[in-house]
Amino acid sequence: MVESSQVVAKAVANKSDEEVEQSLYAKRQKIYVREVHGLFARLRAMGVLGLLGLFYIIPWLNLDGHQAVLFDLPARKFYILNMVFWPQDFFYLALLLIVSALTLFFVTALAGRVWCGYACPQTVWTEAFLWIERKVEGSRQQQMKLDKGANSFRKIRIKATKHFLWAAFALFTGLTFVGYFSPMRELAVNFLSFNTGPWETFWIYFYGFATYGNAGWLREQVCLYMCPYARFQSAMFDKDTMIISFDESRGLPKGPRKKSVDKVAAGLGDCIDCTICVQVCPTGIDIRNGLQYQCIGCAACIDACDDVMDKMGYDRGLIRYTTEHSLMGKHTHILRPRVIVYALILFGITVSAFYSILTRTPIAMDVIRDRNSLYRETNEGLIENVYIIKLLNMDKQDHSYTLTAAGIPDLILKKDTDKIVVKSGEVVELPVRVQVDAYDLKQRSSEISFTLTAIGNDDLSVVEEARFLGPAY
Amino acid sequence: MSMSDIPIIQRVVAILWPSFIVAGIATVLFTTAFDPANISIFADYGISRLGSYTICFFLFWLFGAVTSTATCYFLKPCDAVNKRKSSGDSGSVKE
Repeated sequence: MVESSQVVAKAVANKSDEEVEQSLYAKRQKIYVREVHGLFARLRAMGVLGLLGLFYIIPWLNLDGHQAVLFDLPARKFYILNMVFWPQDFFYLALLLIVSALTLFFVTALAGRVWCGYACPQTVWTEAFLWIERKVEGSRQQQMKLDKGANSFRKIRIKATKHFLWAAFALFTGLTFVGYFSPMRELAVNFLSFNTGPWETFWIYFYGFATYGNAGWLREQVCLYMCPYARFQSAMFDKDTMIISFDESRGLPKGPRKKSVDKVAAGLGDCIDCTICVQVCPTGIDIRNGLQYQCIGCAACIDACDDVMDKMGYDRGLIRYTTEHSLMGKHTHILRPRVIVYALILFGITVSAFYSILTRTPIAMDVIRDRNSLYRETNEGLIENVYIIKLLNMDKQDHSYTLTAAGIPDLILKKDTDKIVVKSGEVVELPVRVQVDAYDLKQRSSEISFTLTAIGNDDLSVVEEARFLGPAY
Repeated sequence: MSMSDIPIIQRVVAILWPSFIVAGIATVLFTTAFDPANISIFADYGISRLGSYTICFFLFWLFGAVTSTATCYFLKPCDAVNKRKSSGDSGSVKE
């Protein structure tokens, strides 16, 4: 992997100071991406359509009378299909994030940056914005000509059309994003009648603006300067990882020639130096200079080069998906320790995450000791502590529960009701008193436990520990 | 290598972006642990939960950005500070 600092250092060595100053302070050159056709372009188009389709359609789907995927922030409930998550379930969401991260590591070790090239939101939205740009401004040459030309009515009209379409698409993206957090159908109606709440309105425009900026303007700079994954993915690479590479042994020495020329007699390799691989690159690099961290693995250069090779009557694959070992003429090992270790960890955590989610107990109980007094002595001479029991029924049905306490001999639990009824999704706060004989207390602070069990369903039960304070004898 | 060899966009991003990510994580952790509806400053002013989350996020982002800015500021090589003082120019200083 070539680090950016090394690239800069190399550049510094080759140019005079003044030139370096110029180039480093120069305004970023816009990269005009040439349109490309071929197998990988089709795969990416499918990825873009599939993922964008999912993103825009999911908030409109309903299940069991609620939105199928809704992170209902105002109500502090997350609906994912037929499961409901509460703030108390945060642990499971953290587990799911760990599973996602491990999946990314595993895929990276095996297949390189396929995530970047086909599935990353930055790539997906940039592709969509590039498509709009191409439809409005035309091909790469036409775009460059338009930008170079003087301001004219035509230029302004074309630019305005592009930015209007971008803004509209970005705004729809912002609306959809907020639709994941605030019920979509209601939100869309309110949005069309300018009735969204102030915070919702803010986020729709904020996310819309971010989409417009990232996919319309920043583009490859997000990958170069903002993406942490781009910087550390090399840690997961080895010589058997799938990469996109230019086959130097076949391509060099490069040089233009007529199709009729015998390349062997002319002393040339297969690369005709047409630079189309550079023109199609969304990050503007030359893949022929070797593996670079700017390469997002989109394979546009493969499609472009294969096309040229076909036209020249040469074999395809001068630029291709390969591995370092394969380029060196060695055997590529797919099953290697790194891949096996990632796979085992991933499998273990995924299984335990899903097991714990499917078997989670849909009750949350918090025991809060009354902070106003340590303990008090009752008229009967017993030591009493007061607790607030906070119950949350996370199940989809209403339940009645019984509460018991244990931990100190002859402990007495006093509460207002024997049967605690908590409706689905509701919170009940219950003050309780625990009384014990001071003779049974061995130390100032003893551990007791409260057990809550659903009536008619003994499996639905939680235990919560608490401290009982008293005098020490 | 001195700081001036880093493009402007990369410097701006180095301040705004890490603080953005951290603000997102901090907001999730903070609002999971504490329900804004129970926090008196939000409740007293009648700010909805969505509003409270938004305010939390931007406050965290601001704090993070201040930290990142200070980090970038103190990363400037000592020599660069000396040279600027002696030559009196305000331009970039090379090593």
